[in-house]
Amino acid sequence: MTELLLRNACVIDPLNRVNGDVMDIAIRDGWIVESVGNGAEVIDARGFLTLPGGIDSHTHICGTKVNFGRYMMPEDMRAGRTIRKGVMHATSGYSVPTTYGNSYRYSAMGYTSILEGAMAPLEARHTHEEFSATPLQDTMANTLFDGNWPVMEAVKEKDVKRAAAIVAWTLAAVKGFAVKLTNPGGTEAWGWGKNVTCIRDPVPHFEVTPAEIIETLIRANELLRLPHSVHLHCNNLGAPGNYQCTIGTFDLVPDLNKERQSLYATHVQFHAYGGTSWKDINSKAEPVAYSVNRKPQIVIDMGQMMFGKTTTMTADGPMEWNLYRLHHNKWSNHDVELETTSGIIPVYYSKKSLVNCVMWAIGLELALLVKDPWQCLLATDNPNGAPFVRYPEIIGLLMSKRYRDEEFRTIHPDTGKRVILDTLDRELGWHDIAVMTRAGQAKALGIAKIGKGHLGVGAEADIAVYPIRIRDTDPSRDYAAVVSAFQRTAWTIKRGRVVCRDGDVVVEGTNRTIWANSRVPEAFDMGRDPEFVKKFDRYYTVRMANYPVQDAYIPRSGCIESEAVL
Amino acid sequence: MRVILTAKPRKKPLIPVEAETIIPRHFRQGRDLTVWEGNRERSLRDIFDVMVERTAAAAEEVEVILRGDVSRFKRVGEYMDAGKITIEGDIGMHCGNFMTGGTIEIHGNADGWLGREMRGGRILCHGNAGHYAGSGYRGEKFGMKGGTLEILGNAGDFAAEYLAGGEVIIHGNAGDLPGVEMVNGTLTIHGNCSRPCGNMTGGTCTVLGTVRGMLPTFRKNSTLLHGSDKIPLTVFEGDIANRGKGILQVREYSYDD
Repeated sequence: MTELLLRNACVIDPLNRVNGDVMDIAIRDGWIVESVGNGAEVIDARGFLTLPGGIDSHTHICGTKVNFGRYMMPEDMRAGRTIRKGVMHATSGYSVPTTYGNSYRYSAMGYTSILEGAMAPLEARHTHEEFSATPLQDTMANTLFDGNWPVMEAVKEKDVKRAAAIVAWTLAAVKGFAVKLTNPGGTEAWGWGKNVTCIRDPVPHFEVTPAEIIETLIRANELLRLPHSVHLHCNNLGAPGNYQCTIGTFDLVPDLNKERQSLYATHVQFHAYGGTSWKDINSKAEPVAYSVNRKPQIVIDMGQMMFGKTTTMTADGPMEWNLYRLHHNKWSNHDVELETTSGIIPVYYSKKSLVNCVMWAIGLELALLVKDPWQCLLATDNPNGAPFVRYPEIIGLLMSKRYRDEEFRTIHPDTGKRVILDTLDRELGWHDIAVMTRAGQAKALGIAKIGKGHLGVGAEADIAVYPIRIRDTDPSRDYAAVVSAFQRTAWTIKRGRVVCRDGDVVVEGTNRTIWANSRVPEAFDMGRDPEFVKKFDRYYTVRMANYPVQDAYIPRSGCIESEAVL
Repeated sequence: MRVILTAKPRKKPLIPVEAETIIPRHFRQGRDLTVWEGNRERSLRDIFDVMVERTAAAAEEVEVILRGDVSRFKRVGEYMDAGKITIEGDIGMHCGNFMTGGTIEIHGNADGWLGREMRGGRILCHGNAGHYAGSGYRGEKFGMKGGTLEILGNAGDFAAEYLAGGEVIIHGNAGDLPGVEMVNGTLTIHGNCSRPCGNMTGGTCTVLGTVRGMLPTFRKNSTLLHGSDKIPLTVFEGDIANRGKGILQVREYSYDD
C-alpha cells in the first residue's frame, strides 16, 4: 500500500463542481480516497493551481503515419534534442518527436491521458507498439471506419445493426477505443483518384453518401453503448467555403445520449472557412459556433493553428494531395486497402501569409464564440495545427485579450478584414480552461466514469499541479506567467505516483491502453458471420485469423465493457 | 596566434570524437574546451598535445593546426566564422559544417559531408572527399548556400546535393548523382561523373570530363567553347521533369540504354 497526501492544493475540478477551493487530496494505491494514515508521503502544493491530469482528446502521436512523418522529416530531428538524464531517454524532434519525446513533453505539461486521433485497423499493431513506448500517459486509439467496405455495404443496405456489429468486432479485434470517421467516403473515393466535396456526394461503387455513413454510424455507436461518440473529421477539410458543409453535417446529428454528445467534431478550425478561393478566404467561425451553441449533442475541438514549422498528417489522403499541390514539397500518400488512406506533408505556417493568419484567428474565435466550454475543447490536432507543446500559448491567448491584441498587431495587416477576432472581448477563466483541457475531454470521451478527468473520491489519482497561484494572478495582464506555468508543472502525478517534477520525468512509467469492448448477441458476432468472413478472406491481404491484435501488444489493458442493444 | 594540436594515440582509435569546439574563435578566447569521445566528455588536453604560440587580437589571426590521426574526428570547424584550420592528415566526417568564414585546408583526405550546409568561407581539400561533399543533411532542402569548396582529388557520391549557392570545384572525378536537387550556385567537375543534376531547378553545373548515364530529362539547347582552352561543351537545360531552369554543360556524355 502506498499513500500520498497532497496538501494545500488550490483545486479546480469542474466535474465535481470545485472551483478554486484550497484542500488536501488523499491518495492510496493510485486512487483518490477520503483520507490516508499518518505515514503517508506528503507533498505541500503551497496553494498552486491543481487540476485533474490533462487529457488530449485528439492528437497524433503513435502509429504508422506518425512514424512515416519521422522517416520523411529527418530535419525535424534537429530540433528538440534532449540528452539522456536520469530515467529519461535521449529525445529529438519537434513536430514529430520520438515516442519518449512525446511522452515526456506531455507529462511536463501535466497530461496523463491521450487519444491517438486515427488508427487504421489493419495497422493497429504499430500504434500499440508505440503506445507501449509512451509510458507516462494512458492511451486510447480512435479507429478509422471512414472507408470501411463492410461498413459501407451495411450502410447501403440501411442495416444499422449490422454496421454496429462490424464496428464492435473491429474495435475488439484491434483494441480500439472509438469510431473515427475521417472525410467519410472521401478516402474510399480517393482510391479512385477522386474525392467527395460534401455530405451528399455518392462514393464510387458503393453509392452511399457521407451523410448516410455518418448517420448510420452515429446510431450504431449508440446501439453499442460505446463510451465515446462518433469522432468525425468532416468532409472537405481546408477548402474555402467549407463551413456550409460543416454546418450541414452538424444538422444531421440526432441527440441520442443523455450523458454526452452524439458527435465529436474534431479540428473544426479547418472546417470553418468562408470565401470561394484562397484569395478571398475568411472566417466563418461565427455561424459554425452558432450552430454548435444550438446543439447540445455536438462537441467540437478547436484544431488551433499556431505559427511556425510543423508536419501535417491525416487519414484524409485527397486533402493532403491538395496541400501538396500548394507547397510542392515532400509528400507521402498511403492507401490502407479496405479501410482508409493517409497523407503527410511538412508545412510552415507564416505570419506573412494571410491565409495562415485567418486560420489562426478562426481557431481562437471558435473557442471564444462557443458559449459553453464543455462544447469546445482545446487541441491543435497535434501536429497538424501546431505541435502540442504550444497548448500553453493557446491558453494564454484565450485568457487574455491583451495578449491576443499584441499578437494581432504582428500578423498580416489585412487579417482584420477577414476575421472578427479583434472585436471579441471574452476572456476565458481558470475554470473554463480546466474544462477545455481535461474535464470536458473526460466527459466527451466517456472516461469520467472510470475515474478520469476529476478529483473526487474514487477517481484515478492523475493530478497536475501548476506553479501558479490563481488568486495572485490576473491572466489578462500576466499572460506570460500563465503560459510559463502551463508549460511546466511543479508535479505531475500519474496513478498516485509523482512522474514528473519541475519538467523532469522521474520514473520509467507504466501506461495503460484503454479500449472499448461492446458485447453483442451471438447472432451479431461477425467473427462467425459467413458473409463477412468470406469477403474478408477474399479481399484483405491478410487472413482473418492474423488480423486481430494479440494481447501481447497490450501489456496493461484497460478495457471498458459495454452491453450492446441490438 | 598558432595553436598546434597533436592527437595523442588513443586506446580505441575507432571511437569517433565529436570535436565541434575546434574553431579558431574558441582558442583566442582561451576557453577550456572539451570534446566528446563516444559518450565520454574529455578535456582537449586529454586528447591532444596542445601547443600555443603567441596571442591574437582577433579570431582572424588564429591558425589551428591538427596533427596526428584525426581521421575519426567529426565536426571540426562547425560554425567557424574566421581564422584558419590546417589539417595535416585525413579528417573525419562533417568537417566545416555551417561555416560562415575563414579557411579550412586539408592536406589528406576528408570523410563524408565535407562542408555540408556551408554558408561562407573556403575549404580546400588536397586529397579526396567522401560522399555528400558540400551537400545538405538528411531532409534539408537547401544545402551549401555560400563560400567555396575546392577538392583537388575525387569526390564521392551526391556531391553538392541541394546546392543553393556558392561554388563547388572538384578537380578529380565525382561519383554518382552529383548536383542532385541543385537550386542555385555553381558546380564544376573537371573529371568524370555519372547521372548528374537530377531534379535540379537552378544553378550551373559544368562537367569537363565524361558523363555516364546522362539523364534523359535534360533538354539539349546549344554548344559553347569553355574557358581559355576553348573546350567544346554541350549545354542542357533541366531538370524538365521538375520544371527546372538549371544549366548542365558537359564535354562528353552518354545515355544509359
